[in-house]
Amino acid sequence: MPKLNYLPFTRIVATPAALDVTIWPTEALALRTAADEVLLLSSAPPTLVDPHAIVVPDSGFVGAWLPAEAVQAIFEQHCEWALPATRSVFVQGAVAGIAAKLWLEAERGLLIVPAAYGHDFAERTGLA
Amino acid sequence: MNIIVNTMPVAFEAGDSVLVALQRAGLHPNRGGCLCAAGDCPHCLATVNGVAYVRTCQTLAQPGMIVESFPTDDYPHLPTNTQRGPTVSARNLHCDVVVIGMGESGQVAAAAATAAGKSVITLDDKVGQEVVGIYPELMVVARTSAGMLHIHAHDEVVVATGAAEIQPVAPGNHLRGIVTPRAAAHLAAKGVALGRVVVVESGDAVDLSASPTLNIIAHLKGQVLQFEGLDTLQAVVVLDENGHSQRIECDTAVVWLGLTPRDLLVRMAAGLKVRAVGDAAREADLPPCPDAGMVCSCSNVSAADLQRVWDQGFHEMELVKRATLVGTGPCQGVVCVPHMRSFLATRTAAADSSANPDIARLSKVQAPFTARPVVRQLTLGEVAAGAHHHATPRTGLDAEHRRLGAVMDRIGGWWRPWHYGNPLAEYWAVREAVSIGDVSTLGKIIVSGPDALAFLERLYPTKVSSIAVGRSRYVLILDERGYVMDDGLICKDSDTRYTLTFTSGGSSHAEMWLRDWAEGWNMDVRILNQTMSLGAINVTGPLATQLLQRAGLTQPYKFMQHGHASIADVPCRVYRLSFTGEVSYELHHPVDQSAKLWRTLMTLGADLGIRPHGLQTLLQLRLEKGHVIVGQDTDFDSTPRRIGMEWALRMDKADFLGKPAIERTNKTVLDKQLVGFEMPAPAPFEGANIMHEGEYVGYVTSSTYSPVLGKVVMLGWLKLVNGTLPSEVMIDGRPARRVDVPFYDKEGARAKA
Ligand code: FES
Repeated sequence: MPKLNYLPFTRIVATPAALDVTIWPTEALALRTAADEVLLLSSAPPTLVDPHAIVVPDSGFVGAWLPAEAVQAIFEQHCEWALPATRSVFVQGAVAGIAAKLWLEAERGLLIVPAAYGHDFAERTGLA
Repeated sequence: MNIIVNTMPVAFEAGDSVLVALQRAGLHPNRGGCLCAAGDCPHCLATVNGVAYVRTCQTLAQPGMIVESFPTDDYPHLPTNTQRGPTVSARNLHCDVVVIGMGESGQVAAAAATAAGKSVITLDDKVGQEVVGIYPELMVVARTSAGMLHIHAHDEVVVATGAAEIQPVAPGNHLRGIVTPRAAAHLAAKGVALGRVVVVESGDAVDLSASPTLNIIAHLKGQVLQFEGLDTLQAVVVLDENGHSQRIECDTAVVWLGLTPRDLLVRMAAGLKVRAVGDAAREADLPPCPDAGMVCSCSNVSAADLQRVWDQGFHEMELVKRATLVGTGPCQGVVCVPHMRSFLATRTAAADSSANPDIARLSKVQAPFTARPVVRQLTLGEVAAGAHHHATPRTGLDAEHRRLGAVMDRIGGWWRPWHYGNPLAEYWAVREAVSIGDVSTLGKIIVSGPDALAFLERLYPTKVSSIAVGRSRYVLILDERGYVMDDGLICKDSDTRYTLTFTSGGSSHAEMWLRDWAEGWNMDVRILNQTMSLGAINVTGPLATQLLQRAGLTQPYKFMQHGHASIADVPCRVYRLSFTGEVSYELHHPVDQSAKLWRTLMTLGADLGIRPHGLQTLLQLRLEKGHVIVGQDTDFDSTPRRIGMEWALRMDKADFLGKPAIERTNKTVLDKQLVGFEMPAPAPFEGANIMHEGEYVGYVTSSTYSPVLGKVVMLGWLKLVNGTLPSEVMIDGRPARRVDVPFYDKEGARAKA
């Protein structure tokens, strides 16, 4: 199993309207975690129309890219909610009793948890 | 191949259940009772491999399996060892339709659902999938040898579990040697010798022709009046269809009284989309009214017991269940409910309903009572499968603390180091040299936006507009009722952006608190909680500045000033403040670099006498300074006036959260205050009563021995006596003196040095 590693996110909090119209860099992975918040994996900074947006580097999350079957197995064992059928898709909720985020593509998924819970998450899911 | 039954080896053949192995050896798993060999009754239960309440008829025998009968007059004993049982995993599956039972009707239901384009999951106890309950939101829980299944059905659950054979109630029905027709056929097919067999049926034709090995010596229509024998059946007395009583000596009685639907799962799922099909949906046959014998062997309820509670006025299924516990044992009423219904129907019909209005409203044959999960006895591991206890977050330095041998504890909602083995040395490192502590758990929230100042001005009791960029201010956080809810810092980053800090315990609530008010007041602000994203190390002690200069701090910081700096090549937000009473810097930094920063500081400070300090030392240091810990020193009704911190309020502000309540409560007479005390060692325990002239006047909230002052210092709540605070009190039965705080460095010169 892959290990959990710190993820070099940029965390963005801005007005929902500003985030709605933001064009993210093409290679970026922009995860809309809330109406006013995005977690961005990108080497290039985004251009935001909100001058008061908070844009900060954030290493507060750990995660791992896993094959889709491994994601499925973790969800079957540790999660009472179902994975959506659509791909690519971003979902959030309790996995193994810990608040987790999941970016799911056709062949793989990025499982993300707050670094402060990484130890317990890894212990519970075998991602240690 | 052998299983071990009550310490004796018992041979079995491949494919045998434990029950078959036992029966082949002439043994019964327990005291006795009619066997069904179908998982419906409580008569084959035993302890298998240390797990009690295992249905031996449903358990495949395996070499070396340890089988123990229950004590004859007691429940199975709890294991005496303290070893943790095996962890049981849970698997969550999702589908449209769950079909339980794969007999004919189950197969039809599954095929129909599949044909309708539904995703279907089927469960069948014949292949070891034992459904134990159906829960709200249509979750079916099943036990398998590989762990528990939690199946979430979107559309419906179809129960196709068939029907159970009704077992006989008559004197002697506890004996060994009584079986249902299905059990007889099953045991015969397995080559179990049942001896001389008598078949007694209630009216339907029982066909045992497929079991030619059975030595049937009599086949009667009628009702069993009595089973005779000591432990084992020796004869059966039957009232035949002609009304004649016959006594027939035999080794086995096969008794047929009809079928009752296996509908426990349906009866526990009221309001859910659960339906029964096939025999699970059939009308239950009604056996003869039990006049004598054991009705419920799980709970030891006899026919005489039913009569007794009937005579006491218990006439409904639910009430009889509560009065006798009938139906609450391992079989969950499968065996006893048909007889209860028959008993109540017979007594109701016979009663003079004109004289008994409560009987008059009862239907002749009452419906079975509501069932509740679980229908099978589970181990604690099976119950807990898939459940996770609350996880306690860890700072980026957690592994570092443990590597250094810290005593860790869960404090303020986090794993934190209590001390590193020598708290006194940690204390003196702060007071005389330099020390570092992990304060990553403090709440850290950014507020940005055109309304940031207006928002915070309305929220906090301090004058936020007077805080300059690059400066911080200590603040009390009040609720609408003017009570102290938390405390922290306001740090001004720019005219439209502030960083707020909160206590470790208050941080989880802080973000919601901010968002709630921002939304309620329609403030144009953005809020980002960085508590878990930033680590924080407190560098404190008279040599703290020297250490940080070695690590890369180039500019001097004044007290309550903040800015950015690269410390040990780690980008840090530096806050000059003090909680310990010495020069202190908090270094907020990316949490993934906590260990690097910590180790570099420890290396650079080696010749300065650096030591890490834990929370025990931090609490001692702050108490010497008289700093209040919200939640420990404060109570639910602590106002700034009561904790002696009115200096933190700007009552001349137009408004702030809690101001009207403060104005109102300030008009009342002050009744108690949080004040400082000192006394000689030893330190009283926190919570100790404070007495004055023999009367209770308060209690201690914080207490420690102060090495630097050579005495005990405390904070505590003290009632005013005749309008004044007593100066001399008794704590822990010893004299103590009320004194002003802080206890140490009253002018704060050391922190501001
Ligand atoms: S004989 Fe096993 S449950 Fe009845």
